[in-house]
Amino acid sequence: MKRRNFIQKSTAATAFLTLGGFSLQSFASKNSKHITILHTNDVHSHIDPFPSTDSRYANMGGVARRATLVEAIRKENPNTLLLDAGDIFQGTPYFNFYGGELEFKLMSIMKYDAATIGNHDFDNGIDGLFAQLPHAQFDFLSANYDFKNTVLNSNVKPYKIFIKDGIKIGVFGLGIELEGLVDPKMHKETLYLDPLEIAQDMSRILKEEEHCDLVICLSHLGYHYKSDKISDLVLASKTKNIDLIIGGHTHTFLPKPTIAKNSVGENMLVNQVGCYGLNLGRIDFYFDSDKSLASKGKSIIV
Amino acid sequence: MKKIIISFIIFSTLLSCKSQAPKLVKIEGKQTIINETITSDKTIENIIEPYREKVEKEMTTVISYTPINLYRNDGDLESSLGNLMADLCYERANPVFNARTGKNIDFAMFNYGGIRAGISKGNITNENAFNLMPFENSLVVVELTSEKIKELVNYLIEENTAHPLSKQFNLAVTENGYNLKINNVPLDNSKTYFVLTSDYLQTGGDNMNFFKDPVNIHKLDYKVRNAIIDYFKEKDTIKVSLDGRFRNEKTLKN
Repeated sequence: MKRRNFIQKSTAATAFLTLGGFSLQSFASKNSKHITILHTNDVHSHIDPFPSTDSRYANMGGVARRATLVEAIRKENPNTLLLDAGDIFQGTPYFNFYGGELEFKLMSIMKYDAATIGNHDFDNGIDGLFAQLPHAQFDFLSANYDFKNTVLNSNVKPYKIFIKDGIKIGVFGLGIELEGLVDPKMHKETLYLDPLEIAQDMSRILKEEEHCDLVICLSHLGYHYKSDKISDLVLASKTKNIDLIIGGHTHTFLPKPTIAKNSVGENMLVNQVGCYGLNLGRIDFYFDSDKSLASKGKSIIV
Repeated sequence: MKKIIISFIIFSTLLSCKSQAPKLVKIEGKQTIINETITSDKTIENIIEPYREKVEKEMTTVISYTPINLYRNDGDLESSLGNLMADLCYERANPVFNARTGKNIDFAMFNYGGIRAGISKGNITNENAFNLMPFENSLVVVELTSEKIKELVNYLIEENTAHPLSKQFNLAVTENGYNLKINNVPLDNSKTYFVLTSDYLQTGGDNMNFFKDPVNIHKLDYKVRNAIIDYFKEKDTIKVSLDGRFRNEKTLKN
């Protein structure tokens, strides 16, 4: 009975997917898979919603509300990843009093899967970040910060592979240049490596060596700059095999995710959801092993 | 012909059934606004509660008193809050600097935009200090040549804005230029000056480029907000006035 329900449900979904196509629908449905990626960035210790008196963000945000939303989406699709693109710390007294403990605890309860490191996450020094790690039940990913001569050595991985419903999802992290943003006495011996070179390397490893079905870059580089400084849009245009860049740092509010062309002319997505936990980003990826569908390429709806 | 195409598709579909790797066929993107239409999760609320209570208690603790409203825009080229900020930072930082170098700071300068909130008449709480200075900027002392001080003066005149300056700095804009005195003495071209500011401004924030590349830089490892809180805690009542430390004498003559 349960199984029949499932088939009916997914048949309907597949019919929609194939745009009234002529494949054997009950058969094709077995081969369709759905991965949901949820994301935040630059939450900056905004635990509570903004007060009703706030001039810009009255009654917006709030971790407890985000948790309700995330839970509802996970019920709808258990094959969901929840990611954060950095600058978890700094912005409310919660950080000044507790140093990030509450931020990490709440993210752990919401079952965040991974986060990358933003410049403000060094605000209590690399030792301050290290001290809070026991409260974080999720992974920190950064491929271009070399922490080998710091306390974070072995606590931060360049990438992680998640498997959801048999789909291999490779996620890697990128951080912004520290010079001028973070005092050396705060980041200590952290080395900043060229994010473009690292991204090219990471996407090759994840796609060609690890055979990931989906490659996601969790970036704190910033969406775009007037100068030629490396940004998510520049990164998108100069790399291949990345399906989604989730960005941060520039507190960019986008009306919808940006469709960008990569270095081989394929479409991919760049997204960022402003700041302070005001929005939750959501990208749904649909897979199918039906050749007739797959040969049509992918459609992007934003 | 049509039949052939359909059967070919069915055939290829059947073939693909066994071994074909999943291919990305569709991507959908959207975002959801988090607002009051979403119910708060109880588990999360219960975890936050004790933290919130402690933060609120700490934030509402009274640390000083002001008999007047303190704003950043209650004067022309100076303000009650700007004068207070610059003077209190000087007062807190100079003993630290003097103990380390044996020298005294000449004056303090910050930016008008860095004053993020006023303080209303009455009790002053920790929250006032956080609202006034939400950023984690730290105090630094830069040693500047007289040339850089002239650049600083030109910046002030051009901006025509009540940037916070401490009382040791006295600048009058006149018909023919300006009169500058630092600690009651005109600018000495052979001397260097020790100026207190924040690390944010020192690195070029608000286009205060004269702070970049100083002769020397001394980091005090003292956050601006902590200097404010420490000052408030040691004063029962805040006394501050507009004393014309930066003024326009052109308009006075008209």
